[in-house]
Amino acid sequence: MTEADEKDGPPVVLVDPIDMSKLDSEFRNEIKSMPYGDELNACFACSTCTAACPIANVWTYKPHQLIRMIILGMREEVLSSDEIWLCLTCFQCQERCPQKVRVTDIFFDCKNLAAEESKIPETIVGLAKTLMEKGQLYEVTADWEREDMDLEPAVPGLSTNEFKDIIKATRTGKIVGGEE
Amino acid sequence: MPSYNLYMGCSVPANYPNYEAAMLKVAKELGMELEYMEGVACCGSPNLRAIDFMGWLTVNARTIAIAEKNGHDIVTPCNGCFASLKDVYHHLKHDDAHKKQVNAVLKKEGLEFKGISKPRHFVEALYSDIGIEEIQKKITKPLDGVGIAIHYGCHVLRPKDVTEFSPEIYQELVKVTGATVIDYPLWKQCCGATVLPVNEELAIRLARDKLKSMTEAGAVFATVACPACGNQLDLQQLGLKESYGEEYNLPVLLYPQILGLAMGMDEDDVGLSMNRVPAGSIIEHLTE
Ligand code: SF4
Ligand code: SF4
Repeated sequence: MTEADEKDGPPVVLVDPIDMSKLDSEFRNEIKSMPYGDELNACFACSTCTAACPIANVWTYKPHQLIRMIILGMREEVLSSDEIWLCLTCFQCQERCPQKVRVTDIFFDCKNLAAEESKIPETIVGLAKTLMEKGQLYEVTADWEREDMDLEPAVPGLSTNEFKDIIKATRTGKIVGGEE
Repeated sequence: MPSYNLYMGCSVPANYPNYEAAMLKVAKELGMELEYMEGVACCGSPNLRAIDFMGWLTVNARTIAIAEKNGHDIVTPCNGCFASLKDVYHHLKHDDAHKKQVNAVLKKEGLEFKGISKPRHFVEALYSDIGIEEIQKKITKPLDGVGIAIHYGCHVLRPKDVTEFSPEIYQELVKVTGATVIDYPLWKQCCGATVLPVNEELAIRLARDKLKSMTEAGAVFATVACPACGNQLDLQQLGLKESYGEEYNLPVLLYPQILGLAMGMDEDDVGLSMNRVPAGSIIEHLTE
């Protein structure tokens, strides 16, 4: 970690008592049934993932806490958290986890569940729109720069319609369609 | 002569024609046959994986399936495209249910994902298939030992069981040009590109930390092999004066630019003037 913990207040080990009646005991199974959830239960809360995370200092819920929250069934809190969207997908936590929990991949699974419930940051919805309308995130605008480098002005082989058709029929279509 | 399906993705062609051209030129010199793939588009980026896993699987499986028509591996100059393609390749090789589901969609186009054509990063193909020894033979203007910090990029290094990439690959490729590889504390850390759409300030902090760590360790240049990492480390430097009151003046070169220069190409061949932080000073480090 590169900067001191910026948060004021009590140390992160002090947590509020958990109201058992609000827990969704199926959440862990939901994640476990997803592509990267196999090792979820192996987490022994060592917080190595948090130590490896370059941005955990600005997170309210740290990576190890999010994993714990998934196991406990705090579905709503996890899926509504900003943290899952701030995750850099840098895989440093996952690389270091001694229990082989696929921490980063599990956060990807969480984002998909959140997306299914339309809990997506506006800017990401914007990217989804770009992908669906243009079939790519970046379009060549400065084709003279390409010509300067003796490249074809347009990208050879590029064809975006098939891409657009595919994601129109999957969740992206719903996300973008639901916006209009 | 090894042949490859060249998958460009959308960022390199739009933002880094110098990277694209330098890659094509060094590949040609070294006898790698790169052929632009027909009928492909974007990989969707980690953003698509986050919101639409099945869509992400399908578009990338489609790209791989197109490559499988000629059976050659895929190479790409972008870490993000590499990560998407390789992750999907890995996943579909291990998940029959998803493979069937994806293939049911691809069938409409007469395509099928089989898992024959492997997605690879350009630098890895250069290292594994051409090899340091052959590259060495082409070096006519070696660098004078100048210190270069490598930013590998998260998505080639991790998760290792998926990417099968090791840092030594990139280190050896830099060393063969005559440069010295600078070891710096934050070598594994993210450039911040992924978080740019949701929190720009945080993304800038990450880029700045990285640059600080590199320069403090004595790097004179940095190198990347990814357009998104390039953006973060090169372009973002221009704004750091305002946000942090700091100036790094650390030129960031795409790897094929360095290799091309060491192989005797001139600065226009590798598009040096397109780098945001002026990188022309690398010329002074070339020896005859
Ligand atoms: S590093 Fe692994 S085992 Fe340790 S807390 Fe994180 S997820 Fe759990
Ligand atoms: S992948 Fe996300 S949670 Fe894991 S270390 Fe990187 S930023 Fe932190």
